[in-house]
Amino acid sequence: MESNKKYWKGLEELKNTPAFVENNKNEFAEPLPIEDVLSEAGLSTVTPRRDFLKALGFGLGAVTLAACQTTPVHKSIPYLIRPEEVVPGIPNYYVSTFKGQSVLVKTVVGRPIKIEVNPNAGIFSTGTDAQAQASVLDLYDVSKLKAPLLKKAETTWSKLDEFVKGELNKAQASGKKIRIVSSSLNSPSAKAVVADFAVKYPTTKHVQYDAVSYTGIIKANENSFGKAVLPKYNFDKADLIVSFAADFLGTWISGEEFTAQYVSNRNHKSLEKGKMSRHFQFETGMSLTGTNADSRIPIKLSEEGPALITLYNAITGSNLAGGTLGNNTNADKALKLVAKELLQNKGKSLVVSGSNDVSTQTLVNAINVAIGSYGTTIDLDNSNKRYEGNDAEFAELINEMNRGEVAAVFFLNSNPVYDATNSKAFTDALAKVALKVSFSDRVDETSDLCDAVAITPNYLESWGDANTYEGFYSIVQPTINPVFNSRQAEQSLLIWSDGAVQDYYKYVRNNWEATVLPAAGKTWNDVLQSGVVTLTAKPAGAYTFALSLDAVATSIANSSKALAKGNGKDTLELHVYESIPMRDGKHANNAFLQELPDPVSKVTWDNYLAISPKQAEASGYKEFDVVTIKDEKGTSIDLPVLIQPGQAMGTASVALGYGRTKVGKAGNNVGQNAFPFVSFNNGTLKYATVVKLSGTGRTDELAQTQTHYSFEGRNIIREASLKDYLKDPAAGSGNHHKHKVYDLWTTDKYEKLGNDWVMAIDLNACTGCGSCIVACNVENNIPVVGKDEVRRRREMHWLRIDRYYSFNDEKTGENVTEEKEIAHMSNLDNVSVVHQPMLCQHCDHAPCETVCPVLATVHSSDGLNHMAYNRCVGTRYCANNCPYKVRRFNWFNYWNDSRFDNYLNNEFTQLVLNPDVTTRSRGVMEKCSMCIQRIQAGKLTAKMEKRALKDGDIKMACQQACSANAIIFGDKNDPNSEVSKLLRSERTYYVLEEINVQPGIGYMTKIRNIDSETKEVHA
Amino acid sequence: MRNISLIFKKVWKSAFVFASLSFLIVTVTQAQDVVEGRTLFKDKCASCHALDHDITGPALTAKVNELDEAFLIPWIKNNVALIASGNKQAIEASKFSPSEMKTFPTLTDDQIKSIIAYAKVGEPKKVAEAGAAVKDEGTSSLSIVGIIAIIILSIIVLVVLGRAVKMLERLILQKQGIAIVEEEGVSLATGVRRLFKNKKFVAFFVLCLIIVLGSFGWMGMWETGVHTGYQPVQPIKFSHELHAGINQIDCQYCHSGAFKSKNSTIPSLNVCMNCHKNVQARTEDGQISPEIQKIYNALGYDADKQTYDKAKEKPIEWVRVHNLPDFAYFNHSQHVVVGEAAIRKEKGIDPKDPVCFACHGPVNTMEEIYQYSPLTMKWCINCHKDADISGKKNDAFYANIIAAHEKIKKGEKITPAMLGGLECGKCHY
Repeated sequence: MESNKKYWKGLEELKNTPAFVENNKNEFAEPLPIEDVLSEAGLSTVTPRRDFLKALGFGLGAVTLAACQTTPVHKSIPYLIRPEEVVPGIPNYYVSTFKGQSVLVKTVVGRPIKIEVNPNAGIFSTGTDAQAQASVLDLYDVSKLKAPLLKKAETTWSKLDEFVKGELNKAQASGKKIRIVSSSLNSPSAKAVVADFAVKYPTTKHVQYDAVSYTGIIKANENSFGKAVLPKYNFDKADLIVSFAADFLGTWISGEEFTAQYVSNRNHKSLEKGKMSRHFQFETGMSLTGTNADSRIPIKLSEEGPALITLYNAITGSNLAGGTLGNNTNADKALKLVAKELLQNKGKSLVVSGSNDVSTQTLVNAINVAIGSYGTTIDLDNSNKRYEGNDAEFAELINEMNRGEVAAVFFLNSNPVYDATNSKAFTDALAKVALKVSFSDRVDETSDLCDAVAITPNYLESWGDANTYEGFYSIVQPTINPVFNSRQAEQSLLIWSDGAVQDYYKYVRNNWEATVLPAAGKTWNDVLQSGVVTLTAKPAGAYTFALSLDAVATSIANSSKALAKGNGKDTLELHVYESIPMRDGKHANNAFLQELPDPVSKVTWDNYLAISPKQAEASGYKEFDVVTIKDEKGTSIDLPVLIQPGQAMGTASVALGYGRTKVGKAGNNVGQNAFPFVSFNNGTLKYATVVKLSGTGRTDELAQTQTHYSFEGRNIIREASLKDYLKDPAAGSGNHHKHKVYDLWTTDKYEKLGNDWVMAIDLNACTGCGSCIVACNVENNIPVVGKDEVRRRREMHWLRIDRYYSFNDEKTGENVTEEKEIAHMSNLDNVSVVHQPMLCQHCDHAPCETVCPVLATVHSSDGLNHMAYNRCVGTRYCANNCPYKVRRFNWFNYWNDSRFDNYLNNEFTQLVLNPDVTTRSRGVMEKCSMCIQRIQAGKLTAKMEKRALKDGDIKMACQQACSANAIIFGDKNDPNSEVSKLLRSERTYYVLEEINVQPGIGYMTKIRNIDSETKEVHA
Repeated sequence: MRNISLIFKKVWKSAFVFASLSFLIVTVTQAQDVVEGRTLFKDKCASCHALDHDITGPALTAKVNELDEAFLIPWIKNNVALIASGNKQAIEASKFSPSEMKTFPTLTDDQIKSIIAYAKVGEPKKVAEAGAAVKDEGTSSLSIVGIIAIIILSIIVLVVLGRAVKMLERLILQKQGIAIVEEEGVSLATGVRRLFKNKKFVAFFVLCLIIVLGSFGWMGMWETGVHTGYQPVQPIKFSHELHAGINQIDCQYCHSGAFKSKNSTIPSLNVCMNCHKNVQARTEDGQISPEIQKIYNALGYDADKQTYDKAKEKPIEWVRVHNLPDFAYFNHSQHVVVGEAAIRKEKGIDPKDPVCFACHGPVNTMEEIYQYSPLTMKWCINCHKDADISGKKNDAFYANIIAAHEKIKKGEKITPAMLGGLECGKCHY
């Protein structure tokens, strides 16, 4: 064996707890009631002959009657007047923009059903995030309002307009303030509308705040360089990346763009050139970015500031006070190494911090100036416009309202009653405002306290625009008429301010025709087609840093002292963070997102308190124990404990975005709201605090997908260090001694003469973000099953991402290689992680096929493993015989069962279904079909055009969504296809190839940029 | 049965038409011309002219009565030339509408005379009535029920008559004073009872019963879910025979999706209105045909004012005839574009006919559409097994694949099945 490293999916597997061993032996997750049947009444009772005959007769009669049912009459209703561009059966694609990401929307006879990638959109042309993929479901959300509300009663727009205008005039007359509260608005037209509104009502001010704020960076840049902007980071230009708790591959600023940039320096293309960036991550909780780092060093929240001061001192040779790390020797060693390497890589490295503290970010700026990042890896001149929120302005708003100075307040894409740090203070202050209007699509926490709810359409029903980066504009265009009686917020504002143009479409168009279009030399129609306009980027300048850092260092030291109150037992430093599925909670009613497992913990439908295994031992909690978390202000919530390897000792993490109470059927009361733990001090929001834990004596099992399947310790993850890879590209891949391959079909040769559809997955590119999972769900009509069913291991995801931990040995820093040694390991903080997307491998010798008694799953001549649902009788033999555990059984008719009311069980939501894919019935097995509908459609297009299929004509849904380009699909019979080339790569191996199932999906080894020095860090 | 009843219907209809027209031959002068004129009128003129009211062009009956042939013939042949020549009458006539009349240089003088003759006489009334009568007799099930009813009735009559005869005989005998000797057991019940004591008969009877019930059951089950001949009543009595048959409208004109999409698409009403804005098939008293009126109602269209009212729109709910189960994927364009040649060859479709006939049958003869093919999986598969697609050799998409196959299967024809056309996942996903 080339690799005898031990990997494990969960702590049960690692420790081999008796329960895990027991479960693992069992064929089924839940015991079958065979014993009950045998021991109780079951077989011992005598069935009298007459009863038997009665039952038989009744059965026969019932079946006969059921079969007599007349054939239902199907209606077929054509358009009255068919729109020219719509041909039923052929999808149409329109460009639009979701939260600043330019996307392509697939519509089928007028209903949007899938978000795809806009190939024209530059940085957005590689993939989309999970939120964007799931956003189509929000359109068909039954929890939305159908008409505007006035004093909680449905009303008409004219009445609402009359009321609001009347109140606005009163406010105007009284000279009191009018406030428009929104999350960062990156739409130039919407901003212009707000400006117009402010002209009509001069006391208006636009307050922007973000639930997860970046004010710290903006202020720091203002202080350091006089530019109050978020810079554009160029991770692709960085050979060395050092991140202090910035989850830049996940939730930090622009995860999707950063992923594409980051991976371009680490994927197969880069490796072939012998080049791979190096990434150090210092962080508290285990973030997605942390799992991808070459070296991850756990530090406490209170150590973050001192660590940065240490690093600054080491780089510049200065002597700022406060740079002591206590007893974290690993971090100390790592910082020395990082400082050395940063100096070696001047101009090719980047230091980022996830902190929202102005002082911390100022220090980060100083470090980046010292290592020459500005002008190369950081671009201050073409800023990122995603976040412009100002925490202080929002805090001031509460004061203004309290003083009774505000007469009217409008909430636009914001929900402060839920996500403000002090919701009670906000609610009390809000009561003193005369006119409260919410632009929302539902009665959410804030709208519930408003006089009027001017319901807004989904972005798929709206016109608009976005300016994500300086000089990068994209358009939002509607793909469906508003389903309900909604009106865009911008249009409402135009009407209330008696604007000259009251139609927002015309407004956007005029705005573009006056500003962006002439600058780019394009027409409106060009933009409707391409979706984006990119103006020439300004040259990125280098910047110098002239501030004195003494005050900054003092401030950092003070904040860290305030945090360092943990006693290592029941008082811990709490980190509240955005989780990848739920983000800030705005899409909490999206069932696809709720069921998307967290990339690291694999928990669905809940948030939890993550603590390290050693911490759990020290505090005396077991996994799933519900604990009360209480901070100094007295805020408290109860959450179950999740034991998270890699979490820093003395700390705990809780995800934001959960605990919504008024969002809808799917998202109400899922988890607990952690926003109260956010605090406002030194002018910005802080996501760290000190909490006291106390047990409740209850337990609550989290719905994890993590340990549902076990690989019995087989050699399925293969990895190598960059050094070894450069010496031998096949290092760690196990390709040096290939197993002998036998053919199962000796008599009747099975040849794939046409195409041979295969896939290659680059483990070094996959970050584990999970957008492929959501893309697969939407494309293939995969049902959401809910928390309880996930607990029973009945999740339906065709594609999952397995996350494996492995150790770093404390003594040598080597990854642990012998199983025996694992038993001696005590430091579970030092874990490495590999993400492995796992889906049907379309084996040529598929074990599932040979056991199906009804031939429902059979092999095709183009290398796919077909699944005929209408043939399947549900024996589940195939799932049992699948070595990869990728087959899923439908336990219910999820689309027609009141127990699954939070998802598809209504006709409106069912409009999201893809008409080209069958919705499966109860009692039927299903699994990844390799998007066969896309293959067939691609082939048909080529046939109609009488041309050969080209590589890249057909793209899988998962492949398309992947920003990292980790999934490559294609035809193996075409030797020049990208996938053929990748499968021939020395790095490629097949999971479980030793059992000779001959999978169709090749994986490329994980490469870590580690060497003796980084190993030293973990020693 | 369906086919028989259709043939029956067709024969009767043509007989009626023939009969009425022969009647006309006798009564009307130049009768042959009228028949020819009617056909020509429908073919060439009806899209712009009606006999009795103005549409795009003026009402023809009035015009032919008003104007003489000497003017009409050159006008119809080439009105543009006639106007250009400065003919006063022609210039006057051209003022009727801003839209120019088509020229018909290929029509002979006799043909034009026939049209004029037809326009003078008008639509033969009896033909329409006869046609309507035939329609009512229509369905085969009705006639079967009728026949059964007649048989049952006659049996009852026979039995009653027999009883009456017996009674009378007995009365006569009684009058004559002859004692009536009750014949052995006499009653039917006793006879049947005696018969059922015969074991051979019972065995035979049971056997017959099993065979009859069994074969009915077998046939019933075999046909379960197979709807060949399914001909539901549609909200509009749309005749494919008239549109696709007599008027020779191409299938794609209405089913425009068939050649590019998986759906053939039922035409939206704007397609109907391309013609039916003019073609209103008014009756003698100027009423728009009730079936065409249904189109107008659905669109909220007022034929007299030529205006649309959006508020009155109401889509037409057709009843789906060809209905594949949701788990079967079928794509029209795959078959009528990609597979056209092979399907034509396999099903022996006349080059003049559209390839659609292969599965949809002779649509051009269907008064109302019905399901021609069984649409069972066996039916699909048979074609996938048999059709010869070797003709695709020169098609870039197939070139490599077929070449690879030919190496192995030398001389044999290439079928879709060989390229994976029988695999489950090709249609079920």
